[in-house]
Amino acid sequence: MALSLEIRGLDAGYGAVRALHGVSLSIGEKETVALLGTNGNGKSTLMKCVMGMVRPSRGDIVLNLDGQAFDLKTLSTEAIVDLGVAMVPEGRRLFPRLTVEENLLLGAYRRASRRQLGRNLEFCYEAFPVLKERRRQLAGSMSGGQQQMLAIARALMSAPKLLLVDEPSVGLAPILVSHTITKIKELKEEYGLTVLMAEQNFHQAIRIADRGSIIVHGEIVFSGTVSELEKNELVKSYYLGT
Amino acid sequence: MFSLDLLFEALIFGVLLGCFYAAVSIGLSVSFGLLDVPHVAHPAIMVLGSYCTWLLATRSSLDPLLAGVLLMPAFFLVGVLVYRFYYETFERRGSDAAVRGLAFFFGLAFIIEVGLILFFGVDQRSVEASYIGKSFRFGDYRIPMRMLVAFAVALLLTFFLSLYLSRTFVGRAIKAVAQDEPALRLMGANPVRIKQWAFGIATGVSALAGAMLVIVSPVEPAMDRVYIGRTFCVVVLAGLGSMTGTLAAGLILGIAESVVMMLFGASWAPAVAFGLLLVVLGLRPQGLFGR
Repeated sequence: MALSLEIRGLDAGYGAVRALHGVSLSIGEKETVALLGTNGNGKSTLMKCVMGMVRPSRGDIVLNLDGQAFDLKTLSTEAIVDLGVAMVPEGRRLFPRLTVEENLLLGAYRRASRRQLGRNLEFCYEAFPVLKERRRQLAGSMSGGQQQMLAIARALMSAPKLLLVDEPSVGLAPILVSHTITKIKELKEEYGLTVLMAEQNFHQAIRIADRGSIIVHGEIVFSGTVSELEKNELVKSYYLGT
Repeated sequence: MFSLDLLFEALIFGVLLGCFYAAVSIGLSVSFGLLDVPHVAHPAIMVLGSYCTWLLATRSSLDPLLAGVLLMPAFFLVGVLVYRFYYETFERRGSDAAVRGLAFFFGLAFIIEVGLILFFGVDQRSVEASYIGKSFRFGDYRIPMRMLVAFAVALLLTFFLSLYLSRTFVGRAIKAVAQDEPALRLMGANPVRIKQWAFGIATGVSALAGAMLVIVSPVEPAMDRVYIGRTFCVVVLAGLGSMTGTLAAGLILGIAESVVMMLFGASWAPAVAFGLLLVVLGLRPQGLFGR
């Protein structure tokens, strides 16, 4: 099961606004890469490019899967999901007037995951007991922290090989941010997930990342391992306030 | 004037009338209730179903109910094509899709109406079957058999649609599609295909409802106009997109109309639907069974 994602020289934008300039990034199997940067620097745009929701104007996004290379630039979002890529979108994007369980079942829509539906559902309820308690409740009526758990669980229902998480900490109280990150860490360790996570909370992000890249104004200004990041001057000035 | 006997009779008739209302509304409960498509041509398509049933029943002497069932696949296809056309020409192009869509579907309703007049003339059409015109005794009451057709069609459609929507992957996607299309893409489903499929189902269901319509009473081309108000009323009363809610709302409307008819006379009945709607929306804006 070889898997890797290669992003090379990516340019993307919205009309006249250029959101990404020549971004290159790679993720190997079972690796967790954090995409660090404050609001408006292009983290979400990069995620959306990988999911086929924003089309880059230049560059390549290639997913290597078991010796086969897929050019994600040319595939629809549905086809990319079908390959085994899932995203926890920014703002969670649950179906508010469906129940918790209906949301989870929709997560298993892709054909490859339908077969293991029962097992995956059980696993999600085990990982997030609160979702089991509230499985008949409408998703929109849950608290922000619970909604974030549901969004993560829903993405896992598709049994993804590559998981993208876009700003899991947004709108959550600090204690919940810490819980969420811990949960993602547990999940990836237990199931060998490959994760690309966009996050502005540096301290939380480096708890689970193997490597990190800092994106500023649509360009990657630094990439390195977590210990390299911690020593980096730019990080110090940007995030650590020293 | 008032007696328990009369009230009981009004209740029985109200239940049957209510099932009839639920059966004519349930297709709209999918297309408008779940997909947010302002499908005012829904009753017109149903009347088209009545005429097709009439054609099959008189030309090939098929049982009208069977004719309705046989028409369902063809109507499903018609629904898929209508939605595709609506999507390419209207929905895809902008945020004011609802208002412009209203014009599209009013246009479609008139085209169907005029087509029916040109093809069949303005005369009323009715079908024959062994159970039409007969009645049976229920205690002291006589119940017309044809109303039992409405009863059966309503229950069957509610049962199977609820089951389909809650138990299948595509069914659940149909329930989700109007809530967040980009999020549905992230689940791996194509929203346009889902809506197209669902609109096909709504239209297929209308063929059976149309067969029931012509069994219950004679039809004429402009008959859809009477039903635009009532069907939308039932769907909104139910709470958008709830199938069992649609059955319940149909029953409430049928019983209310029937009791009002008994107490105050038939001319008050049409006011009941909208009176009820205003009261319910005042107290429960999401409808009786809405989420």
